[in-house]
Amino acid sequence: MTAIATDPPRSAVSSPLERAYARLGVLLIAPTILVFTLVIVYPLLAAIYLSVFSIYTPTLQGGFVGADNYVELLTGKAFWNSLRVTLIWTVGTLTLQIVAGVGLALLLHQNIWFRSLARSLVLFPYFLSTVVAVLVWKWLFNDLYGALNHGLMQLGIIDMPLDWLGSMPNAMIGVILVGAWKYFPFVVIAVLARLQTIPENLYEAARIDGAGPIARFWDITLPQLRSVLTVIILLRAIWDFKEFDLLYLLTGGGPVTSTQTLSLLVYQEAFGLNQMGQAAAYSVGMMLVMLVFMVLYIRQTKEKA
Amino acid sequence: MANVIFKDVHKSFGSFVALEKLDLDIRDGEFVALLGPSGCGKSTTLRMLAGLDFPTSGEISIGGRVVNDLAPGKRDIAMVFQSYALYPHMTVGENIGYPLKKRGIKGAARAEAVQKAADLLQLGALLDRKPKQLSGGQQQRVALGRALVREPQVFLLDEPLSNLDAKLRSYMRAELIELHRRLGKTMVYVTHDQLEAMTMASRIAVMHGGHVQQFDTPDAIYNRPANRFVAGFIGTPPMNQVEGTVEGGDFVIAGHRVPIDRTAYSADLHDGPAVLGVRPEAISIGSGEGLPATVRLAENTGHETIVTLELPDKRRISARVEAARRLDVGQPVALRLDPAAIHLFEATENGARLNLDDTPASVIPMRST
Repeated sequence: MTAIATDPPRSAVSSPLERAYARLGVLLIAPTILVFTLVIVYPLLAAIYLSVFSIYTPTLQGGFVGADNYVELLTGKAFWNSLRVTLIWTVGTLTLQIVAGVGLALLLHQNIWFRSLARSLVLFPYFLSTVVAVLVWKWLFNDLYGALNHGLMQLGIIDMPLDWLGSMPNAMIGVILVGAWKYFPFVVIAVLARLQTIPENLYEAARIDGAGPIARFWDITLPQLRSVLTVIILLRAIWDFKEFDLLYLLTGGGPVTSTQTLSLLVYQEAFGLNQMGQAAAYSVGMMLVMLVFMVLYIRQTKEKA
Repeated sequence: MANVIFKDVHKSFGSFVALEKLDLDIRDGEFVALLGPSGCGKSTTLRMLAGLDFPTSGEISIGGRVVNDLAPGKRDIAMVFQSYALYPHMTVGENIGYPLKKRGIKGAARAEAVQKAADLLQLGALLDRKPKQLSGGQQQRVALGRALVREPQVFLLDEPLSNLDAKLRSYMRAELIELHRRLGKTMVYVTHDQLEAMTMASRIAVMHGGHVQQFDTPDAIYNRPANRFVAGFIGTPPMNQVEGTVEGGDFVIAGHRVPIDRTAYSADLHDGPAVLGVRPEAISIGSGEGLPATVRLAENTGHETIVTLELPDKRRISARVEAARRLDVGQPVALRLDPAAIHLFEATENGARLNLDDTPASVIPMRST
């Protein structure tokens, strides 16, 4: 290594073999770069370009409007309302996912007799197609014949059937619950994998040092889970922030715009109101918010590396 | 008073019997080594004393108090693990202070105790480091610090030196002996390294197959091994064991007679098959009269030479001679065995020693496996 460090810059003296390797390297990553450019870079630049036009979606015709779309974004209510809804949804569903995911991972880490069966079953919601999951949950939530209302009335918790997805705050609670149910298995698997690598003798040492079960969780398990939890929280936050299908299918953003997250707003603007330019401006705004999570995530993974 | 007593302790894992009828009486302040090969039950014994495993039956007491049903944290013990088991996210200071924290000792009192332990182990400058920033030897000392900070009645050490290199190991051995002398606390030390057991312990329990083979001082273990297992386990190279026959005042090996002193052995020694045991250093190699043998290998270690010798019936034994002694491979020699250093054992798989001088404290015949 020291030889390389003291050599003149590599490009100046690189041997034919080194140049051949470099060419091979470029050749090998070229397909990825090409696909990446086509599906990520081009749409991104196109969105920024579109956002300074007023475009009618069906014809894709329209005129240049400058910053008008961004002025609307900043001064209008739609973007800010959707941002608020998105944050409530993300924080709510993510919190539930983490609490349920860590809790269940801890349970499945114990020596319980149905452990291997439970470990497979817990993945079920994650594997289920969103459409199927939403259909099942819509049936459960139904205000006329839904099992949820039936159960709650049987238990005497409510007198009258509740309108779960058609009124607030029930609709938000509903989507948060379904989101948590759908995505907590991801947390379980990641946390369980980490739990299995914590050396058993740390717990034994803690027992000898006088730590009870709760102290052992706070003093050993949780600090050991810290790095994996940070990554899970950031990843899930990014994914939940841009969640579309589950919310669209369950409430369509309603009632009115009470569960209309930014993804739904962009969709509504582009294909409901046929305003592609305004939709592009919203999506650029959304991307800037997500950039915060991305920077945090990249920092975190860099730190680990 | 912190004596440790195992009374008729059994331990099985499913159908596997790890320990059978374990009786040990460890005195207050004693440094006892549990020595044996892998799977002999020594770690299980220590873990039961720590409360990390529970005996299937029998009674364990510390300082006169039966601890069978006490949680590890309530037994007033401290343990040093082979892998050190330091809490990776805590600093050295937090690691050492953790047992105190869990006992509700706060602020200045805790800091003072941590500082005292750290000073004793020369860790003072490292208190703010994380375990992974330390060398193996430093981690080892932190583990010791965490054990001694709260002044337990009994220290349990589970192969604490086996992850260190040879030089550091011999240094830490001396440190531990010094620490034991200074603290005067009961220490139970598990090891498979006979050198550690012989140099550090005041008494050694040699274990094999879930039984204590002999529980005695290092001197007695070496010079008066209770049975063939102990004779073969202790010493490098171990005691030579040669099967043969007792005929009057001689022990006959492949037709050659080795004189023995019949009066030095118990009345159980009859004419017939027996096993002769002799340490490599009790064999003198010469020419002329004696047990004929051929030199097969001479390994010079610098301060001595270990010679592998072949007897007329092809069995091999080893002898220890001074390094300067020149012996050629293939050279015929005559061996003379010091009659006072000859041990005789019953001619069974783990036959008991038949010499009269022995009074082993705890001898249990080996279970046939």
